[in-house]
Amino acid sequence: MATVGRSRSRGAAKLADLTSRWAFMAPATIILLAMLAYPILYTIEISFSELDLATFTATEWVGWDNYIEVLNDARFWESLRITGIYLVLALPLQMILGFGIAFLINANWQGRGLVRALFIIPMVVAPVVAGGVWRMILDPLWGLANYVIGLAGFEPLDWLGNPSLAMLTVVIIDTWRWTPFVTLIATAALMSLPKDVFEAAEIDGANWWTMFWSITLPLLLPIIAATFVVRWLGAVKMFDIALAATNGGPGAATKVINLFIYEEAFRSLKFAESAAMAVIILVLTMVLTALFLRGSRKLEEMY
Amino acid sequence: MKQTSTGKFSVSRRAVFAAGLSAVAAISILATGASYAQDALGTAEQPVEIRMIANEAFANQWQTNMVPEFNKVYPNIKVTIDGVPYAELLAKSLLDATGPAPTYDIIIADDPWIPQLASAGVLVDLKKDAAAWTSADYDWADFNAAPLAAGEWNGVQYGVPLRSNLLLMFTNKALYEKAGLPAPTPELTWEQFFQQAEKLVQDTNGDGKVDAWAVDTYFMRDALTPTIWQTILNSNGGALLDAGNKPTFNNEAGVKALQTHIDLLKYAPTGAVSHGFNESLQAFRQGQVASMFMWGSVFKGTAVDPSTTTLKPEQVGIQVMPVGSKSAGAHRGIWSGAINNKSENQQAAWALLQWLSSKEGEVWQSNALGVFPARKSTLATTPEHEWLKPVFAALQQGYDAAGEGQMWRPRHPKSDAVQQVLADETARAVAGQATPQEALQAAAEKIEKLLD
Repeated sequence: MATVGRSRSRGAAKLADLTSRWAFMAPATIILLAMLAYPILYTIEISFSELDLATFTATEWVGWDNYIEVLNDARFWESLRITGIYLVLALPLQMILGFGIAFLINANWQGRGLVRALFIIPMVVAPVVAGGVWRMILDPLWGLANYVIGLAGFEPLDWLGNPSLAMLTVVIIDTWRWTPFVTLIATAALMSLPKDVFEAAEIDGANWWTMFWSITLPLLLPIIAATFVVRWLGAVKMFDIALAATNGGPGAATKVINLFIYEEAFRSLKFAESAAMAVIILVLTMVLTALFLRGSRKLEEMY
Repeated sequence: MKQTSTGKFSVSRRAVFAAGLSAVAAISILATGASYAQDALGTAEQPVEIRMIANEAFANQWQTNMVPEFNKVYPNIKVTIDGVPYAELLAKSLLDATGPAPTYDIIIADDPWIPQLASAGVLVDLKKDAAAWTSADYDWADFNAAPLAAGEWNGVQYGVPLRSNLLLMFTNKALYEKAGLPAPTPELTWEQFFQQAEKLVQDTNGDGKVDAWAVDTYFMRDALTPTIWQTILNSNGGALLDAGNKPTFNNEAGVKALQTHIDLLKYAPTGAVSHGFNESLQAFRQGQVASMFMWGSVFKGTAVDPSTTTLKPEQVGIQVMPVGSKSAGAHRGIWSGAINNKSENQQAAWALLQWLSSKEGEVWQSNALGVFPARKSTLATTPEHEWLKPVFAALQQGYDAAGEGQMWRPRHPKSDAVQQVLADETARAVAGQATPQEALQAAAEKIEKLLD
C-alpha cells in the first residue's frame, strides 16, 4: 500500500515537473512556431500551388510544376553560380581577416580599446546606407578610391561598371561590414585561451610560430568552425548590399540568388515560383550546413 | 363619398391623404439621402477618416501641404497618407487590398499597376460606381488622353491622374554653347544628336582632361532602364507587344533601338554603365553632362532649387526626346489614384481624388507643389512660376507624342514581370555580356512564355 502511494506521489511529482517545464517553454515554443514554422510551411504550401493574387492564397495544387519551372530557368542557375562565387571569395577573406585582426588587437598596445569600439561601426550601419556610401567612394569620376589609387600611379577603375570588378566590389563592401563580427568573436576566443599552456610552451622554448601552429590554432579550431558556420548562414542570405550597391548589375554580374528571389516575388509578383526557389535554397543550405557542422565536429575530434 | 372640390380639379380625401403621405415619405427619403450624403463626407461631430497608400517620395509632401488645402473644401474628411518605398509599394498595396478588411481606401498606383490591381478585382469603376458622387463640372474630356489612359484597363476607368510625369530630354544650354552648338529644339533627330554628341565631350577648363560629357541617363540594371530603348523604339514606330500580347521587338527595329541606347555610353561619363536615376541626375546637376534623358518631375530640383543644383533656370532646357523615324519620343509615367472597392468610405475617397484631379485642384497643385498636370486646360494656363512655362510646353508635346506612339510600359497584369525581364536582358546588352540580338531574343522568349 505504501509502495503504491509512493509511486503515485512520484508520478504526481513527475507530472508537476513536466507541466512546469512546458509552462516555461510554451511561450517560446508558440512564438517559434508562429514566427518560424508557419512562414516556412506556408512557403512550402505556396511552392506547390498556384497563388491567386486576388485572395493571396494558394488555390490550385500544381505538384512539382513550380520547381520544374525554376529548374528550367537559366537565370536561377546563373544566380546560384554568382552566389557561389561570392561565397567562395567573401567567406575565406572575412575569416582570415577577422582572425588576423583579432591577433593584432589582442596584443598589448595603447588604444586597442578604442579600435575595438570603432570596429563595431560597420556592423551597425544600415546596408542601404553602406551601399550608398560605398557607391560614392567607388565612383569612377569623383570617388575617393580612385583618387587614392591615382596617387599611387594606377589608372582609375570602374568598380561598379565593370562586370568582373563589380563582384569584387560587393565582396569588399560585405567584408568591410562583416569582418568586425568575426574579429569580435575571435578576440573573445583568444582572450579565453588558457594562459598556463602558453607559459609552459614558452618555458620549453617554443617560438611564436610553434605556439601559434601547435597551440593557438588547434584550440581555436572549434571557434573558427562555429564562426564559419554562423557567417556562412549570414552570407548565404546576403542581398541587401548587392541591392544597394549594384542592384545586381552590371548585366547580371552581382545578381545573387536572394536578390533574384526577391525581385521575382516582389517586383514580378511571381510568388509561387519564388517560394519554390526559396525552398530549394533552404534545402541546399541545410544540407551544406549539416556538412559543415559534421566537418567541424571532426576537426574538434582531431584536435 | 364626400369629395373636396377645388375649381376644375376634384380629388378624393383618400387621394389627398395618399398624396400627403407620399410627399412626407419623399421628403423623408430625400432628407435621409441628404443626411447619408452628408454623413458619407463626414460631419463636424463625426468626421470621416480615410487612409491612402502612396510612394514615400511624395507622401509626406501631400500630407503636409495637400491635405490641409483639401480640408478647406472638405473639413470633415480626415486624410492619413502612408508613404511606402517604391520597390515595395505594389506588393503592399495588393496584399492590403486583397485582404478581408483593407487598411487603405485609396491606392496611388504607378503607371503600369492599374491592370494588376484591376485584375485582382479590388478597384472601383469610377465612371460607373462613383458616377452619382461625381460633380457635374468634373470634366473627363479635359484630360489629355495619354495620362487618363494610365488609369484605364479593359475599357473601365479605375484611376485618375494625380501626378503626371514624362521621360523627357534635359539640356544644359551652357555646355552646348561652349561646344559651339545651338541649343536643341524639339525637332532634334537622333542622327543630329549623335553628330553633336562628339563635340559635347569636352574639356571645359582647359586642363587637358575631359570634364564634360554629352549625355547621361539610365544604364544600370533597373526596371526603368528599358524605358529608354523602349522610347527610341516607339519613336521609330516600333512597339513592345502586339494586340495579342506577343513580343514585337525582337527584330531589326528593336536591335537598332537598343544599339542606340548602348551607343549613348560612348558619350557618357566614365562609369556611366552603373548609372541610374541618382547618378545621372547628379552628373547633370553638377554641370558635367550636356543632356539627360530623365523624368520631367525632377526639373525644379535640377534647374530652380539652389540647394540641389548648381544650374540656373535659364541654363536648363526641357523638351521631348529626339525624333526617330516616326515621331519625337516621350515615355509616360503617371501616378493614378484609385479606390478600393471594399472601402467603407468610397464617397469620401472619391471626394479627395476628384478635388485633386479637378481643374482647380490641378492648378493649385502645379503652382503650389510644382506637380505636373494632366489636363489640357491646366497646361493652357499661365503658371504662377516662370520656370513652369517651358515645362508645360514640353509636357503638352510629350503627351501628344506618347499618346500617338503608345509610349508606355506594357498594359497587362504581368507588366512588372515583363519589365523585369526587359531590365535583366537589356542590362546584359548594355554591360557587354550579350549582343543586342541575343538579349532581345532571350527577352522575347521569356516574355512570350510569361504572357502565354
